[in-house]
Amino acid sequence: MICKIAHERIVTAAYGELADEQAHELERHLTGCPECAGERELLLALKVLADAYPVLEPEANLVARSRLKLEEALDALPPLRWYERMSRRMMNNFAGLRAAPVAACLLLAVGAGAGGLGGYKYAQGRAEHRAAAAQSTAAQPPSTTTSPSASTAVSTAEAPAEIANILSIVRQPNSHRVEVRYNQMVPRQIEGSLDDPAIRQLLMLASQNSASTGVRDDSVGLLAAECRSRHSCREGGIQDALMVVLRYDRNVGVRQKALEGLEPYVAEDVQVRDAVLDALMNDADPRIRTAAINILEPVEGDTSVRQVLHSVANTDRNPYIRTVSRQVLDRVPEIQ
Amino acid sequence: MQDRAPEMELIRQAQGGSRAAFDALVRQYEQQVLRLALHLTGSEHDAEDIYQEAFLKAYRYLGNFRFECSFYTWIYRIVTNLCLDQMRRRKTRREDRSVILDHSGDEIDLMASVSDDRSFSNPAKELDRKLLGERIQGALDKLTPRERMVFELKHYQGLRLRTIGEMLNTTEETAKNTLFRATKKLRTNLAELR
Repeated sequence: MICKIAHERIVTAAYGELADEQAHELERHLTGCPECAGERELLLALKVLADAYPVLEPEANLVARSRLKLEEALDALPPLRWYERMSRRMMNNFAGLRAAPVAACLLLAVGAGAGGLGGYKYAQGRAEHRAAAAQSTAAQPPSTTTSPSASTAVSTAEAPAEIANILSIVRQPNSHRVEVRYNQMVPRQIEGSLDDPAIRQLLMLASQNSASTGVRDDSVGLLAAECRSRHSCREGGIQDALMVVLRYDRNVGVRQKALEGLEPYVAEDVQVRDAVLDALMNDADPRIRTAAINILEPVEGDTSVRQVLHSVANTDRNPYIRTVSRQVLDRVPEIQ
Repeated sequence: MQDRAPEMELIRQAQGGSRAAFDALVRQYEQQVLRLALHLTGSEHDAEDIYQEAFLKAYRYLGNFRFECSFYTWIYRIVTNLCLDQMRRRKTRREDRSVILDHSGDEIDLMASVSDDRSFSNPAKELDRKLLGERIQGALDKLTPRERMVFELKHYQGLRLRTIGEMLNTTEETAKNTLFRATKKLRTNLAELR
């Protein structure tokens, strides 16, 4: 090893970011090179010196004052109007679909279909309404009509559709008639192979957006099985979806399934490893933390795993997890 | 230990316009934001400004958060960018940072506010410690804002180089090289202290 590389590695080693193999190589170099050994001493001295300028906890007064000012600033902001909130939500949804063109097309097609059907129903409803109005006008005074056709359109729609939103309400001049324009959500069904990109995209949407735990559990279970069998997990974005689920899903069973799906990629994918390390450090449920320890493997070139295991071995509130972490750490030299 | 699931719920609610949910997120991260800003800028006033600007930005752009990274990384990215801007402005003004200013403009000695409960503590040592702190602050000020930031996040905040790279929109390798340069400069700047 040349001294220039050794100098760089001394810094990374001092901050615990050098892989074991490189650290051994560095140690061998340092025993035979007094100049580099001196370099290391100087760096360690710098670390001690730098600690003489400590990081202070902000005083309670400063925190309170800052919070107060922020609250004032937030209060001064004009409240979001409904259309701003809606556009934010739509932006969010559209951005979520950027990586899901098939699902986007599918939703567009469903939307167009629903729009067409809605328009047709609306026109049909209006025609019936006009005919009924003409009849009722002939039979009784206009003041007694209460827009029966509108309520019929809602309750007797052929498709079991929900009202998505009301677009406009217009009262016709000098009459009791009211025109309400609205959008309907029409349920759709799709059936196909798990390899079908459209099915996969829907499963990924379900894994993150469904309010039902059952639906999330089912979708994550299927996606995780695809990943475990290494079936287009990374390319289709399934791996990313599982990482989001592992980090944020509120149900422990769903997170557990996501973790199982990510297992085959821990050794080879840094992002997956980060997500699993994150779970080991931060997940509230000890079952997830235990499972995370079991699937983590010490990986050459990445000391993060050991750092996290060290931290967990010392700080986790669960004694079993502390013990398991220590056991894994003890095995590290054998594995490497 | 944080529970991420409620955090996700809070973020979603805040994205939907819930002020209470956003306030809960602020309370969760405000201590860390202030600690970082205070140590980097050395000024309570600047730290307050960065705190306010960071959370206002977070409020404004929360809709853009897509859960692709942790919320912690996202908010730190905002704060580090604001701190970098502040340090760049400061570089041009070259303020004296041996003391910091509190909100009312009074000078506070940062080193003097560190409690020293060692039994052998005495005024002469206190003075030495204060002078040493000032020298280190001075040496840190001579780094470029980016070097200062990487050194801060690695040495003082204990973050991993990979995370630092993510926060500064760069690679782990670049963060490593920047850390190397920073330590080298610091050693030169502090050589006479050894």
